[in-house]
Amino acid sequence: MFDQLFDAALLESVVRAMVPILLAALGGMICERAGVFQIAMEGMMLAGAFAAMAGSYLAVSSGLGIVFGVTAGVLISLMLAFGTVSRQGDPIVLGIALNLMALGLTGFLLPQIFGVRGTFRHERIDGLDRLPIPGLSEIPWIGSVLFDQTILGYLAFLLVPAIWLLLFRTPAGLRLRGVGERPLAAESLGVSPTAYKYGAVIASGVLSGLAGTQLALGNLVLFAEGMSAGRGWVAVVAVMLGRAHPFAVFGASLLFAFAEGLGFRLQGNGLPVQITDALPFLVTLIALIAARKRFARLLDLTTGG
Amino acid sequence: MTRPLKILVLVLALALVGAACGDSEDEAPATTAAPATTAAPATTAASATTAAPTTTMAPEDPVSLIYVSPNPLGVNNFLILGEVGTQRVAERRGGTWKTFESVDDSTRRANIEAAIDEAPDVIVLTTFTLVEMADEYSKANPDQKFIIIDACPEEPAPNLHCGVFREHEGAFLLGVMAGHLSEAKQIGSVVALDIPFFKRWWQSFAEGAQSVDPDIENSVVFIAGDNPFSDPARAKELALSLAAQGPDHIFAVGAGSNGGIFEAAAEAGFLSYGVDVNECPSAPGYIIDNNLKVVDAVVEQLLDQVLDGTAGPVVSFGLSEGGTGVMALQPGLADSQCVIADHPDIVEEVRAVAEGIIDGSIVVNDPLFG
Repeated sequence: MFDQLFDAALLESVVRAMVPILLAALGGMICERAGVFQIAMEGMMLAGAFAAMAGSYLAVSSGLGIVFGVTAGVLISLMLAFGTVSRQGDPIVLGIALNLMALGLTGFLLPQIFGVRGTFRHERIDGLDRLPIPGLSEIPWIGSVLFDQTILGYLAFLLVPAIWLLLFRTPAGLRLRGVGERPLAAESLGVSPTAYKYGAVIASGVLSGLAGTQLALGNLVLFAEGMSAGRGWVAVVAVMLGRAHPFAVFGASLLFAFAEGLGFRLQGNGLPVQITDALPFLVTLIALIAARKRFARLLDLTTGG
Repeated sequence: MTRPLKILVLVLALALVGAACGDSEDEAPATTAAPATTAAPATTAASATTAAPTTTMAPEDPVSLIYVSPNPLGVNNFLILGEVGTQRVAERRGGTWKTFESVDDSTRRANIEAAIDEAPDVIVLTTFTLVEMADEYSKANPDQKFIIIDACPEEPAPNLHCGVFREHEGAFLLGVMAGHLSEAKQIGSVVALDIPFFKRWWQSFAEGAQSVDPDIENSVVFIAGDNPFSDPARAKELALSLAAQGPDHIFAVGAGSNGGIFEAAAEAGFLSYGVDVNECPSAPGYIIDNNLKVVDAVVEQLLDQVLDGTAGPVVSFGLSEGGTGVMALQPGLADSQCVIADHPDIVEEVRAVAEGIIDGSIVVNDPLFG
């Protein structure tokens, strides 16, 4: 039975499930570091997926799909930034409102523009090509898992160390974290919290837009109403579980994707769906309990220091 | 940022106004012309059949029907067929019909209320989306007759008649195809939710295949998650993972998630089956056939029964009534883009099984009731 559980196909499936979650979670993490509680990734991802599909359909070009997807994510992020940063609104209320808006708006525009409800598939929609890296992609196991991604898949992997460098090894990253942790201190040093928070929220709009693009043009080549299906919320939890640290957020995203992929396999092996469906939540609980000690130590450091 | 927003608001407003106007005015002039020519013969025929048992309907009134769709008809075959059935009854009986298209809950309510104001003989509603409103409005308006297709409230009012499908009969026929065509002798289903109702699809599919070859193995996986009816990404991964374990024929029972399953079929090279309408054109070469709901036939028959006063509270439609079926039995098979069209020998087998189900020599169990 277990020889059917683990193979390269499972890991490929895990990576496909992880990429959209990771992209959105990295954006949420930057916001978290800048002191903006970001829960609008679900809506941004869905809007990004719709716009990416629309752009790709209209221009028959996946490149334009990416541009459209990012634009949609940025538009929603601007609303969020204006509401929470400029107007000091409640980010939770606003985030939920934006998520509902994205769901309603894409559900409305789909029949208005494309004349269908539910799902839109068309041969004009140009999907993102997989770009296998010659040589590397032929390595057994790892090759097909890591080196046969879409451009956004590679980007997601590269962004993890890149954002780590940006946050912890550059002056801009230091200021961004300063704005999040001690806004008054940052301001007294001449750092504008507003500018950094806007920047962080817009960055998360870009990344969530890319997450939606990967979902609609990479994982699939179609748009379905509500197709983000909770992935933005998983990203929110990944940010929390990873304590807004790039490598830990990557680990959390991988964990959720792995739990989901493994759940599919276990279902195929006869385990009831009610149990496999609970697997990601179970994994979260176990991870939280296992990581509790480290959290406690971190909390001691921050409050005691 | 303000200009795109303004344009967006403008588009929204225009679309809503357009929808509201279109609903009430579009059809009226075209259809009122019809009864003028046919009213005389139609009413005599109607009075001959209905005057004796009931006196409630004025015999000189031609039939009037209003179809309220839960969503825009667009290219949604299911909803378009609802209109086709309504139109056919109105034209055959010499009467008028209108279609009110809705987009959301508020327009659905407004449309149903507008329909009630016009007091047609029957208001036609379709799908689960409208079932609660059908229940509510039929109880509030006991003199107005309603029918609802493909859903039914728990205790329908006497003036509401439900038309439901015997989906297991079509699924059984798909299973027969899979039984003949599967080379791996392993079949499977990707199903939205693990609830008893969906056994009418996956369990009957398996029974159909095993009626051909009892050794065929069946497996079923469920999409579940946050959005089981519209999560094609999840459905695709599930289908790929199921296909990796052997099944070469996989039944897609995921409504809006089906697109992902068909993409998986093209990638992993298995063959699939769709639901409700002909989904073959969305992945030509990878979909063998579909478990059809022939909505127009059901609307037409149920309307006739209601107008003649013979309808029960819940009427079920299967192969013998032409209410469910598969493309292999339909006249449009050649242009359907379904794989089954390339297998005339199996089409013959399926026809024979369908005839057996209709004449009762083959009994398909209803998984919902034992």
